[in-house]
Amino acid sequence: MSMLAALHRHRPRLAVSRWSSWLLVIVVLGYLLYTPLVSVPFANTQKSLIFSYALVGLGLNLLTGLTGQISLGHGAFFALGAYLCAVLVGNEGWFYLSAVPVAGVVGFALGYLFGRPALRLQGLALALVTLALALVTPSVIKRLDGITQGREGIILDIAEPPSFVSLDQDQWIYYVNLLILVAGFVVCERLSRGHIGRSMIGVRDNENVAMTLGIRPATVKTRVFAFSAAMAAIGGVTYAYAIQFVGPEAFGLDLAIAFITVIVVGGLTSNAGAVLGAVFIVYMPSWTQEINQSAAGIGYGVALVLCMLVLPAGLIGLVRIVGHPLVRRVPFLGPNR
Amino acid sequence: MTLFLQQIVDGLSSGALYAATALSLVLVYRASGFLNFAQAEMATFGTFVVWQLWIWGVPLWAAVSLSLVLSFFGGALMERTLIRPLTRSASHLTLIIVTLGVMLILLNGAGWIFDFGVKEFPSVLGGPVVELGPAVISRQSLVVICTVFLLAAALWVLFQHTRIGLVMRAAVDNPESADLMGLPTGTVLTISWGLAAAIGTLMGVLVAPQVFLAPGMLLPTLIYSFTAAILGGLDSPQGAIVGGFIVGISENLAGSYLPGIGADFKQAVALAIIMAVLLFKSEGLFGTKGVIRV
Repeated sequence: MSMLAALHRHRPRLAVSRWSSWLLVIVVLGYLLYTPLVSVPFANTQKSLIFSYALVGLGLNLLTGLTGQISLGHGAFFALGAYLCAVLVGNEGWFYLSAVPVAGVVGFALGYLFGRPALRLQGLALALVTLALALVTPSVIKRLDGITQGREGIILDIAEPPSFVSLDQDQWIYYVNLLILVAGFVVCERLSRGHIGRSMIGVRDNENVAMTLGIRPATVKTRVFAFSAAMAAIGGVTYAYAIQFVGPEAFGLDLAIAFITVIVVGGLTSNAGAVLGAVFIVYMPSWTQEINQSAAGIGYGVALVLCMLVLPAGLIGLVRIVGHPLVRRVPFLGPNR
Repeated sequence: MTLFLQQIVDGLSSGALYAATALSLVLVYRASGFLNFAQAEMATFGTFVVWQLWIWGVPLWAAVSLSLVLSFFGGALMERTLIRPLTRSASHLTLIIVTLGVMLILLNGAGWIFDFGVKEFPSVLGGPVVELGPAVISRQSLVVICTVFLLAAALWVLFQHTRIGLVMRAAVDNPESADLMGLPTGTVLTISWGLAAAIGTLMGVLVAPQVFLAPGMLLPTLIYSFTAAILGGLDSPQGAIVGGFIVGISENLAGSYLPGIGADFKQAVALAIIMAVLLFKSEGLFGTKGVIRV
């Protein structure tokens, strides 16, 4: 029991010295920049996919982790982004990068319109409404078959590398997605600290107290919802780059649960955790598919239950359990040494 | 007119299924204060147990009875091991995620053990369709509708006219006082979960001949059952029944009469009903209004 209590204890983010955090950033970025040059196309596509799930995870982390609002429906905004990209770039011939701002703006607007009434609900009711949104998404796509080509889906051939670089398409898309993820990560990191981040946490922990401090909970919640919808839509665009195909069946309940798994397994309230969670949901099926085709689903399920019962802080909680003693003991790793 | 009547009758038979699942959801909600997202998969798993026993040559009635008992203990076990440790301390988010996890485990576990292929399942009552005026209904559907009403009646008797029902109502109404009175509140919560699981399995067995047994067979109906439970009021068993039939009928009528809805898009009706109820009358048709003391 004491072991369980130790795992449950809340741990703050690691306080590492400035130079060691820069060192970590350089090592991670260096690895990420180098690895596509020496990997097979499949591995690059897999990593590009991780980047698009991580974008969704970052937005959901702000919404669920920091602001405390559940959404099971971000698959709908993800699908929106993917289809915007497929239709505008694939069918209409727009420049492929233009899909990113368009998806961001449309995702924000639709997220705002949906969130405005929906966020009057709390907890369970909000979960139900957003779950319904996720379940309706495939049938909406099929219904709009004039635009979306219904069940057949849209096959794409977009995001060609420009002529001045000698990269293959999978490598180029990897770098494009990585760049978008890094930009999204920096934005979310800025948002989750400082005044905005503290108002989100205030709304999560006690709305009444937050209100007395001059924060409007409804406004904060709706804006965060809209922002996370925009992140999901941009994630959808990068998904369309990576997979080069969009079809209705990819955007149903399974995807909604996958997104929840991203933030839960990674660790709620941590941006780095959202990225770790995305790594988990992409690689776990490829580790387990040798056992049985059902093993991946069981793995997701067990991970969700275990995280809630044993490790509420997710993978990032594990990192902190190992990291805190290290930071304290190893010279130059901690702050002010 | 014939089409209209037929749609009503079809709506009644699908509504019966939604009503029964909503009934299980309501039982769990009254016990633990949240919705069990794994309900449909628990029912499917119980139905698979019946199928396996039947394949092994056990007579259908014995297989169903055994599976009902197993489901009861399965549901009770889930409450004791996964839900109870979390209900006191944790938020809705935690509980919803746990039940989603259980749903995934059961869905894929059933796929692993029994494979994902579609299985044929024996009907309780075969024979030609019954004519109700110009409309027709299968005998199995009639059994389903009658079972739902019997279940509702049995639950009403249980809640209103037995000692254990009284304890159950007390435990929901005011857990702390019930505890202080020395009532076995923990036990009755576990019993609620067991009953919900057993009802799920019973309905799974009854609808399996029509929808064909496969992992995830009840997932498409889950959203309608949630809608039914919300519409009827989350804490009201009668509401669940009425809500189930309303949702079943309106979904069928919208599918055939509203332009642009069609068979694929009927789930949007559920989304619209959920949104409307939650925003304008969040306690539903028969639910108790929540009151907060400030």
